[in-house]
Amino acid sequence: MTAPADNKPLLDVRGLTIEIDTRRGPAVIVDGINLTVGKGETVGVVGESGCGKSLTMLSLVRLLPNKIRVKSGTAEFAGRDLLKMSKSELRQVRGGKIGFVFQDPMTSLNPVMRIGDQLCEPLIYHRNMSKADARERAIELLRLVGIPGPEQRIEAYPHELSGGMRQRVMIAIGLACDPELLIADEPTTALDVTIQAQIVDLVKDLRKKLNMSVVWITHDLALIAGLVDRVAVLYAGTVVEDAPVNELFARPTHPYTRGLLASIPKLSDERASRLSSIGGTPPEPGRRPKGCPFAPRCALAESVCHERVPVLEPVAGSTGHRVACFVAQRQMMEAA
Amino acid sequence: MTITPVILSSTVADDEPPVSLWRDAWHRLLRNKLAVAGLAVVILLAFVAVFGPWLTPYDFLTQDLNARNQAPSLAHLFGTDDLGRDVFSRVVYGTRTAFVVAIVVTAIAVVIGVALGAMAGFFGGMFDRIVMWFTDMTMSVPNLLLVVVINASLKTPITAWMEARYQATLNPFYRETIWVDFLLVFGSMALISWPPYARLVRAQVLSIRGRPYVTAARALGLTNRLILMRYIVPNAIGPLIVSVSAGLGTAMVLESAFSFLGVGVNPPTPSWGNMISDGLRVWQHYPHLLAAPAAVLGLATVAFSFLGDGLNDALNPRGSK
Amino acid sequence: MAAEPLIKVENLVKHFVVRLGAFGERGATVYAVDDVNFDIFAGETLSLVGESGCGKSTTGFTLLNLQKATSGKVLFQGENIVSLDEKRMRPYRRELQIVFQDPYSTLNPRMTIGEVVGEPILFHKLATKAELPERVSRLLADVGLPARFAQRYPHELSGGQRQRVAIARALACEPKFIVCDEAISALDVSVQAQIINLLLDLQEKYGLTYLFIAHDLAVVRHISTRVGVMYLGRMAELASREQLFSNPLHPYTKALLSAVPEADPELEKTRQRQILTGDVPSPLAPPAGCRFHTRCPIAMDKCKAVVPEWREVVPGHHVACHAVEQGAAG
Ligand SMILES: Nc1ncnc2c1ncn2[C@@H]1O[C@H](COP(=O)(O)OP(=O)(O)OP(=O)(O)O)[C@@H](O)[C@H]1O
Ligand SMILES: Nc1ncnc2c1ncn2[C@@H]1O[C@H](COP(=O)(O)OP(=O)(O)O)[C@@H](O)[C@H]1O
Ligand code: SF4
Ligand code: SF4
Ligand SMILES: [Mg+2]
Ligand SMILES: [Mg+2]
Repeated sequence: MTAPADNKPLLDVRGLTIEIDTRRGPAVIVDGINLTVGKGETVGVVGESGCGKSLTMLSLVRLLPNKIRVKSGTAEFAGRDLLKMSKSELRQVRGGKIGFVFQDPMTSLNPVMRIGDQLCEPLIYHRNMSKADARERAIELLRLVGIPGPEQRIEAYPHELSGGMRQRVMIAIGLACDPELLIADEPTTALDVTIQAQIVDLVKDLRKKLNMSVVWITHDLALIAGLVDRVAVLYAGTVVEDAPVNELFARPTHPYTRGLLASIPKLSDERASRLSSIGGTPPEPGRRPKGCPFAPRCALAESVCHERVPVLEPVAGSTGHRVACFVAQRQMMEAA
Repeated sequence: MTITPVILSSTVADDEPPVSLWRDAWHRLLRNKLAVAGLAVVILLAFVAVFGPWLTPYDFLTQDLNARNQAPSLAHLFGTDDLGRDVFSRVVYGTRTAFVVAIVVTAIAVVIGVALGAMAGFFGGMFDRIVMWFTDMTMSVPNLLLVVVINASLKTPITAWMEARYQATLNPFYRETIWVDFLLVFGSMALISWPPYARLVRAQVLSIRGRPYVTAARALGLTNRLILMRYIVPNAIGPLIVSVSAGLGTAMVLESAFSFLGVGVNPPTPSWGNMISDGLRVWQHYPHLLAAPAAVLGLATVAFSFLGDGLNDALNPRGSK
Repeated sequence: MAAEPLIKVENLVKHFVVRLGAFGERGATVYAVDDVNFDIFAGETLSLVGESGCGKSTTGFTLLNLQKATSGKVLFQGENIVSLDEKRMRPYRRELQIVFQDPYSTLNPRMTIGEVVGEPILFHKLATKAELPERVSRLLADVGLPARFAQRYPHELSGGQRQRVAIARALACEPKFIVCDEAISALDVSVQAQIINLLLDLQEKYGLTYLFIAHDLAVVRHISTRVGVMYLGRMAELASREQLFSNPLHPYTKALLSAVPEADPELEKTRQRQILTGDVPSPLAPPAGCRFHTRCPIAMDKCKAVVPEWREVVPGHHVACHAVEQGAAG
């Protein structure tokens, strides 16, 4: 359930700051993110579109697009800083120890290569397998992710598969080399709910079998409720709250988290009752407010919120729950 | 019941004036150095084309048989030709010819191309197939061949007819064969220039026709004419501007090529093309006669193409986000 | 429920003929909407749910005669509107409006917000030029935008703000009925609730009727009066919101409901999911008989051959499944 509190975390991201070149000069889009993932732990990273979820994960394997770069911070993976590794070390990590599943399966699979060849590539490269062994393993992987008739499907091109099958192939590629960490970036956003349920089930199952750590990126709070051990809530490029999943849903503390949870319609709601909503919209990169990034939309904002940036600090009276909010921290102190 | 106003986010700062897409594009264009250079050259040439005749020291027809084939000097910046005419003045006047031809031809081609392309894309069906058949046909015949054929088959009958009219009426208008030249040049060049515009506009319209804002306009019950004029054409116009800018340069080259082949603007009206073709015959002895018009033609086409590229980037907001 | 429906959809069919192969040498038919029947009552919100490509949007489009129906009827005020040409359709256009999913392409980028909202008012002569600014401000206020937005261009607005403008444009013709085609699906989670509230407020204020097309069942459960479930171009089940969510009868509806995650870790841990196997078949080659039989956990032999009939098994509860008994309680 909660993180095995034993030794060091598998992934330890500290003060990660990413900036982008704009017309008006460099603008910070990810601002000092801290994130840890323990061995065997599943962490959900939640946030709205454009808050920096994908960029954070891409920066870990140094795949940031042009004009976007890491400005500062460290990202230790099994004790080694991913951001400072040599190119050859990095290649061992990419697709080997860290598996990736991207947001859009159609654009991340190579349309002119058979899926079998795409699956075999990392096996031959990272595991030095022979072609025949790699093929054997590829079939096994396709079977593992629940693709019927893997012996035939291995010859298929991506466009011959449905969206759900393509996403499963992506997961199979991510899993190919028994990664210690699987990073899944909105792997089900493009899929239908019934297919989403299949994929979620699959990952839950595999995680247990292979004792992997998983980072699951999504904008759907409901989706991760039954899937992850811990949740980090991102807003405008910063982690605003970080807590064990039960704790987060039972005691959401940051005004943004509370707003998000309240805006999801509940089973118990009257029909057509007013949903509580958060006014306004998230800031665009380069137009971040000076103090707390949520301040312009926050009902609790005080003058200090517009001046200083709150940092992630433990919430009084609970373990492993941290929040970046002046007012919430004060209220919890008073309550405790 | 009240509706709570949205708390405005930082998307639009309150004090910022609204920016239209065109203004935005203009600012992006100004940041592109090559495009600005192209624009400056185009403006300069346009200025020369309009005011040139008042700026030049000599008339383009004045012959000075004592000063034939002179090398460039202070008196004659680009030298003189075999009839002792000032080459600088002739190049300047040629600019006017080039612009007139380019603008008239492009304007005709754009009007035909946009009208046919927009309707083909919007209405589709039989009309579309006929228009596309015409464009394909026109594009598959080599340009110069078409022009030569048109000229050869039309010029003689028209001049003969005009001569006959002159004999009958003695109206001096029928002796002005220069109009026939221009008519044939404009006409045949426009005829070979419209298909690419029609294709471009048709493709644009096809892609815009399916956008939700067009469907929304249909759902509002707006007439086809309104939808075409207010929704489709304005959104198709960006790429059109780009290709018109490049097309003006192409038209100038085309005019020169025609003149060079002797089917274009006829002497003594100066055009860069006929100057180049005259200069080519004697380039070993008097290279300036070739170099001056050729350089100006080159400059003009490069300027138009830089401007076209710049416009392309500027009108494409996603490209520079 | 009111006796006379506002809109009556009878045997609506929409097939698309598509060209396949590298040279378009093969023709094929997409069975996008196949023999769909339902009524929409004044003042209600009827939702259509189902997986992507099952024909929800196509139903909405053909219903508004924005795409020509292959066959079938849509009766509005006694007139079969799908048989009308554009000119005779025009008076009805005013009363039947639509709001789209993608906030980025729903507004003409070359028109100011004022022009976008003002155009239908002038076109349908609902106000004079002099009254227009006042009308536009009032509409913008209705959707919670300040009047000075009238001078802005769409690219200066956020997604949620654009969606508000799209709603204001639909309202400008003073319609009776609005199709909301995934109108909130592309918005940020925190903005979705704002727009849902807005739609509900406007419904109350102007007595609007909605056809709400969505795939988010939590939202659908929140705002609908009745819900229709579609699968591969056919209607599987249609019932009031209470009946559908508490007593789903069709096996597909049951699977769909069990697949929806709830924002509650405790509940999720104990919840029994019914995971469907297999993929959604292609609408180019829908299975014979019941279209769900390739994934249905209780499919019988009959299901492979015979199309299940669309029946009202309990008053107000329609379903198309061989396994559901007449008068069934689930
Ligand atoms: N290639 C790029 N060029 C310019 N800006 C970019 C690029 N990629 C991302 N951004 C910007 O960086 C910010 C963070 O983007 P990111 O893709 O990480 O968001 P996200 O949280 O994954 O969102 P989503 O839920 O839409 O996937 C956004 O404002 C986005 O517009
Ligand atoms: N213009 C079209 N041409 C061909 N096929 C289409 C067209 N529009 C929709 N379809 C097909 O019809 C089916 C139903 O589409 P749609 O109504 O958009 O689904 P939904 O809105 O439920 O996701 C899909 O298979 C889709 O690919
Ligand atoms: S720090 Fe202030 S503005 Fe930020 S979330 Fe907390 S109360 Fe709101
Ligand atoms: S008709 Fe048969 S296959 Fe279709 S849903 Fe009912 S039981 Fe399943
Ligand atoms: Mg992303
Ligand atoms: Mg749709």
